[in-house]
Order: sequence, then C-alpha cells, then structure tokens
Amino acid sequence: MAADEPDESARARAVRLLSGPRSRLGVTVGPSAAWILALLVAPLAFMIAVSFFEVSSLTYQIIYEPTLNNYRSLFDGGGAIWNTPFVTALWLSYVIATVTTLLCLTLAFPLAYLLARSGGRLFKVVIFFVLLPFFTMYLVRAYSWVLMFGPGGVINSTLMSWGLIDAPLGIFNYGIPAIIVGLTHAYFPYMLLTLYASLDGLDFSIIEAARDLGASRVEVLRDHVIPLTLPGIIGGSLFVFVPSVGAFITPTFLGQGKVQMIGMLIESRVAGTYSIGYASAASMFVLVSIVGAMVLAFRYVSIEELGGA
Amino acid sequence: MGGDGTTTINIITWEEYAEMQENIESTLDGVELNITPSTSSTEMFSQWSAGQDEQFDIAVPNNNLVPRFIDSDLVAPVNQDVVNNYGSMYDKFQTFVDEQFTVDGDPYGVPIRFGWYGYAYDSRSVPDHDPSYNILFEEDYVDADLGGEIIMYDEAAKAIPAAALYLGMEDAMSGSRMTFTEDQLTEIQELLIQQKPRLQGYIAPDPTFIQEFRQGNFLVGQSGRNETVQMRSEGDDWVEYVAPQEGALAWYETAVVSAASDNQETAWEVVNEFITPQNGAALAEAGFSPSTNPNIADELTEEQNELYGRIDPARLEGMYSLKDIASDVEEAYVSAWEEVKAA
Amino acid sequence: MPEMATETSESTETVGATDRLVGHQTVERLLGTSLYVVSGLLLLFLWVPLAIIIFLAFAENAVTIFPFEGLTLDNFRLALRSDSMRASLVGSFTIATVAASVATVLGVLASFALTRYRFRLREVYRTFGIIPMVIPGIILGVALRIYFQNLLGILPGFATVVLAHSLYGLPFVLLIVSARLYTFDESLEEAARDLGADPLTVFRDVTLPVIAPAVGAGFLFAWIRSFEDYIRALFLTGPNTDVLTIWMFSRIRQLDAPELNAVSAIIVFGIAVALAIAMNVGNVTGYVAGTVTEEEE
Repeated sequence: MAADEPDESARARAVRLLSGPRSRLGVTVGPSAAWILALLVAPLAFMIAVSFFEVSSLTYQIIYEPTLNNYRSLFDGGGAIWNTPFVTALWLSYVIATVTTLLCLTLAFPLAYLLARSGGRLFKVVIFFVLLPFFTMYLVRAYSWVLMFGPGGVINSTLMSWGLIDAPLGIFNYGIPAIIVGLTHAYFPYMLLTLYASLDGLDFSIIEAARDLGASRVEVLRDHVIPLTLPGIIGGSLFVFVPSVGAFITPTFLGQGKVQMIGMLIESRVAGTYSIGYASAASMFVLVSIVGAMVLAFRYVSIEELGGA
Repeated sequence: MGGDGTTTINIITWEEYAEMQENIESTLDGVELNITPSTSSTEMFSQWSAGQDEQFDIAVPNNNLVPRFIDSDLVAPVNQDVVNNYGSMYDKFQTFVDEQFTVDGDPYGVPIRFGWYGYAYDSRSVPDHDPSYNILFEEDYVDADLGGEIIMYDEAAKAIPAAALYLGMEDAMSGSRMTFTEDQLTEIQELLIQQKPRLQGYIAPDPTFIQEFRQGNFLVGQSGRNETVQMRSEGDDWVEYVAPQEGALAWYETAVVSAASDNQETAWEVVNEFITPQNGAALAEAGFSPSTNPNIADELTEEQNELYGRIDPARLEGMYSLKDIASDVEEAYVSAWEEVKAA
Repeated sequence: MPEMATETSESTETVGATDRLVGHQTVERLLGTSLYVVSGLLLLFLWVPLAIIIFLAFAENAVTIFPFEGLTLDNFRLALRSDSMRASLVGSFTIATVAASVATVLGVLASFALTRYRFRLREVYRTFGIIPMVIPGIILGVALRIYFQNLLGILPGFATVVLAHSLYGLPFVLLIVSARLYTFDESLEEAARDLGADPLTVFRDVTLPVIAPAVGAGFLFAWIRSFEDYIRALFLTGPNTDVLTIWMFSRIRQLDAPELNAVSAIIVFGIAVALAIAMNVGNVTGYVAGTVTEEEE
C-alpha cells in the first residue's frame, strides 16, 4: 500500500488499477479466486479423478487407467450392500451427526434466546464463558471428555463416591453416546453463535404484540420466532452437521476402537495402506451429501445471513 | 539437513527410541536426530512408499513389513563395516536376518528389540488356567464372567492371527507370509464380529492399555509382553502375562535405512548405536522389551534383567512371528478387518 | 394466530375463570427461572471437562481425580522444560501467523468485491469461499495431501500446512469482513473522493480505520483455527514440521497427562486473557456474532 515517501510510478500504477471497474474487480477478487481455484477446486477435482483410478499396492503410485473398482469395493463385502464397512460407517456418521445437530439445537436455543434478551454485563460475562471453550483447542476439549467417560472415568467415580450408584453405569462407557456428547460439546458454540446472531435481529416487540393479542407461547414460538430465526437455525445446523459427519478426533478418543465413523475409515485407508483410490471414492459420497446439505440450506438462507449481516 | 557441519538424521520409529537420543547425539559428533514417533509399521511403510522415503533416513518397522520395504526398493543394504555391533546380536536374530531380510547375500535390516504378543489377565478376578486363546473367544473357558471385560489389540496384524490360531489355521500362519484363503478370512471375520459384544473395546497404545487395566475397565486383554512387564515393575503384581498354547505372536523391530537417504553411512552409525549395550539397556528400560544384543544385561540390575534384560530368544521357538499378508488376499484381509470394526 | 382471548399476558389472576393449577405470574416466573437454570446448566456442561483438566494440571495425580494427592506446579515446570513442546509451540505459532496473514489479505480484498461489485459468478464465488470452513477436515486434508504429493510432487511439510491453513482461514475473514462492509456507510468514502482523494488514500485513511476491528477479528479467527487444527495438519505436515496439536495428540496417545494437562491449562489461560482484552478493547463479540452496526462502534 502507500508508504510515507510514495514511489510515484508504483503508486500511480496502483491508483490506476483501482480506478477502472474491471481492474478493480480483478485486484480484489483475483488473488483469492486464484487461491481457491488452486487450493480447493483443483484438489477436489483431482480427488474426483483419483476415485476413478487404482493405486498399485506395491508401489503406491497411481495407475492412470479409469476404473470403477474403487466404487465397487465400497459396496463389496461379505453380505448385503448395506452392510459393508463403508455403508455402515457412512450411515452411522449421518445418524450421529443428526442427533448431535438436534441436541445442539435444542440446547443452544434457550441460551441464545436468553443472550439476545439480555444485555450489559450479564451478556458480556455469559458470552465470555461461552466463547472461551470455543477458542480453546478442539483437541483439548475432546481430550477432556476422555477423562470423564469410561468405567473408571470421572463421571462414574464421582457418582460412586457420592454413593449415588453402586457400580459404573454402562451409559457412561465409551461408545456412541459418549461420542455424541463429545461432538455436541465441540460444536455447540457454532450453533449458539449462529442462533444468537439470528435472534439478535429479532424484533421482540412482534412477540409481545402477538402475546398481547392472546397467542400462547407455543404459537408464538411456532408462528413467529422460528420462522424469523430460520436462517440461524439452518445455518447453525449446517455448521454442526457437516463437520460432525466427518468427525475423526472425537470418535477416536471416545469410541474405544469399537465405533467407526466415515472419517476414521478414510483416515485409516490413507494412513495405513495409502489406498487413496478407495479413500477418494468414499470421500466423494461424503462430499455429495455435504453439497446436498448446503443446497438445501441455501434455499432457506442466503450467505449474507450466514455471516449475520 | 542441518547447517555448519551437523547432519540431521530423520527417523520414524516407536516412541521409546527418543530415550536414546541424547546419548547418541553426544556419542556421534555432529549428528542430530529428529525422531518422528509412529504407532504402526504399516504407516511407516505406506509413508515411505508414498514418497516420504526421501524425507526419512531410518525407519524401524516390525519384521513383518521389512520384506515389503525390500521388495519396493526402498531400503539400502546394511553397511556391515559400520554396524559393528551386529556380531554381538543373539545368533537367533542373525539367522532371522539371513533367512528373511537377505537378498543376494546382502542383509537389509538390523533387528533392534523383540517381544511377543499373548494376553494379560487380572489374577485377582480370573482364576488360573491353561493359557489359550479360548479365553478371548469362548464364554465359559474360565469360571468368571468376562462379558464386556475383554480387550483385543486394535490392529489387524495382531487380532486376525489370534483369531486364526484359535481356529486352528496354523498352516496359513506358517509360511513367510500369512496365506489365508478368502473363506478362512470370512471365518475369522465372523468370529471377531461374534466376539465384539463381549469386548470392552480395541486398544493399541500401551499407556491406554495400562491405565484402563488399572482402572478396572477390563480383566483380560490381548497385549504385548512389555505392557505387563511395565505394570509389574511398577507394582501391579496382580497382572499375569501368558503365551497361549496355540502360539504367541513374536515380533522383532528391525531398523532399515532409506535408499534415497543422503546420509546412509551416518544413518547406519545411528542404527549401530541402537544396539550398543548402553543404548540397548536404556531402550529396554523405557520400553520394557529386550534388546537383540544380550550384552545389555551388563548394564541392568538383576531384577531388570529378569524382566527385560536377559530374555533367551529360544523362547521364541514355537511362536509364530508376525507376518505380512500375502498380496493376493490383501484386499480381502483389509476389508475383513474393516468389517469387524464396522460391525 | 390470535384467539379471542381467554388468557391474557397480564399478570392478574382471574379467579374462577380458569382452572389453572398455577397462576400466570408463577408460570412466567417459572419459565423465566427455568431459562436461567437451563442456561446455567449448559454453561456448566461446556465448562466441566475443561475445569477438570485445569484442576488436574495443578494436581499430583495426573489422570484421575481420585485419589487426590495434592497440588503442585511440577506439571507446568515439566511442560515448559520440554524441548519438543516449545518447538511445536513456535512451529504452530509461525504457521498460524503466516496462514492467517495470507487469509486476511485475500479475504479483505475479496470482501470488497463481494459486497460492492456485481459480477457474474458472485454467488458461485461466495459458495466456494465458504466451503473450506464447512468441509470436514478429513476430506480437505486427504484431498490436499494427494494433490500436493501425487500431482504436484510436493512432499508434506511447512509449505503445505501453511497453504492449507490459509485456505481454511479464508472463509472466516470473508464472512466477518463482508458482514461489516454491508453496514459500512459508503458516504464517508464518497465524501473523501469528492474532496479529491484517490482510491488508495480513501482506503487507507477512511475505510481501513473503520473496518480495522472487523479485519482484526477475522485475522484472529483465522489464526486460532489454524493454531488449533489437528486433522488437516496431520495429513500435511512432514517429519520436520513441528505442530502443537500433533505434539499434544502424541502426548494423549502416550497418556503423558502431566505435560498435556499443563499445556492445555496454559492455553486456556492465555486465550482467556486475550479474549478478555479483545472483548473490552474491540467489539469482538459483535463480530463473532456478526451483528455490529455502525452505531455500536
């Protein structure tokens, strides 16, 4: 940009660049568009391509001959098509992600409502305590749950030492419930902040007017609050659902090796045997479902609203 | 690679090797070690094959993967002038190298330490019994309720052979590679899936195994010897470790040097340091597994020697060494394990 | 829809008109308090695991609360002495700073385009701009890994992580800065232009000071996302790249709890301080929630 002693020709050149509408567009959008093309679009395109190539298990190099083998092996396995590791893992991931999203939604809504209604110091304090875990490392938060669960974990030992239970409760064991709790804990702030942004723009006088006119709380919620905050709900759900589908760290820590989500399957294929063909094909399915989710979401909310503008 | 005269040797190996780093760096002038910990030999291989053999100088995979490294032309022959501790190794391991890692008269790997996989159990709750894989797969082998109290090792290379030996498939385990037929793999897979509800889980990292054992999360666990040795040396005398009569799974980590390395001679010097008595003892103390050099016994106390200093490799007779899966069934082998994990 | 009112939102109790078990006032109060209770429980839910780690960081018994053995600062000493910890801290710091800077520059420029100019592929660009934030880390990590390694022949290392993280941080900057630009009063810029300033001066002296907090917030976001990322870094770092999260993961695998708890506690404290400062100095909360308007500046 401008220095104190501007080099006349450089500055003049820059000014000229910023004067014409086309060059202005080029300067502003150009670099990031190039970045996105080179680092997002191209790799994804390459991944799509790789899903149609096989990888030699001896040399780990790609054999550039188109084949559907990767996709076939996704559905190959002893038994029915819906029982293969890939399908099971994918389905399990969707289920876990959906439950997590719903849980986040129901838990975050009241808190977001409260935050939107209050202001001043209470607001700042609460927001501080909400944001702080959000900004601490995800790994730390996932790790913190490892200590909590398990037959000998903090939850069970605390309950036992308080005499509330006699033996470790199975529900506090590692496994799918633990994973759902861990994921909810991890992505809760995303949902909360998006909901809050939506609720904050809500005109509460409408609510009061409806109540004055005799609507019940449920009706107000159903007919006014939810439709007006739908962008926030959809946006928040997107921010929770998509990463949860591909979750890796949380199920690894909290699943005790017994639960396999699609992210773990892909990782094991790449890290273990570098089967990038299989991994790419599997990723394709996840990507398609993400695109589907985004398309669905964007029918209800535009991107500006995602940012809370 | 290190400026002003220092050579940096990049090593991908098991966590405990870091114990030897300081000593090796002070012994070898101008050498700096950069150790990347790995928890899987397969990972070491797949990284090197995928191109990272240029980034590493040394890897220490388990014996079962070494032939693959050799077949893929990733490794350089042992520089026997430099690795002068080679002769101090137990004869047994020198024989292993001759039989398994030698091509055209050139050896390609140096065994560093060894051990075997059996299973451990809590003797306070599990009565004495004949060591057998039955305890992992059968409900009434011992007079104790083991539902939900069993751990299997979280890796195909350890869990599948255990299941196979239980099912009596010694032939497939007796060659230079595991040669299961697809039917056998299906049988193994079904057995493991059937076992799953009785499992507490699959565990790989030693510290997790030890902690959960102590916490009482399980009573019987497939494990290596070193976890239990560590526990006993730390006071947990209720841990019993046995080699099942069907056959334990023997392993020996073997150091290989990348053919793409710029510092092969220095790398072999470092490898040589791994099996000096002093370093070998340090490694054994850290990892609780004996070195392939019997002379570490001079550096350890009598108690330590009993645990991990002076272990006669003759004990490996009758055990099945960890093997690589035959390439024609590899896909089925990998899928079988995935199916088990997905069930 | 409004019914012919048989209930009102007034707090008068109508005797006999209704068969309610509890009067309106009580219901209001109950709901109000339960809202607070639920929120309180939620905050507890968010905080308990972290609090336990912080507690254990000061405890002799590193992994379980019981049996409790006493307080100590040894864990911190151990962690701070660890060379590998310091190396990975510096590594992550560097990577995050470089990546976030790139993302900020690119993102600020692009935000102008997105909010002010109409161009043909704007919606497409906007969608792709969001994707790095939304796509699961595994998929982005794997895609970039095979792209760099197999197609471009670049082995994983410092450069690959920085590139990946700069992409990952871009959407955050985009969202935050463009949200700010939407509510930016362009008449200020017009005034400056009328007075003869060229675009560069306008940007430097008029626009930038006003949107600086948003840019700062975007940078901060991108920085933290990079610093705490594990899964992308896992695929894109080489043996010589020191990354804190990977260090921490190996500590977790080794259950080297003392150092790990201490480092986690230090991170929580550090971020608490930084966040408190940011919240008081600039309106970080507003930017995070994206609802700052010009009047609240």
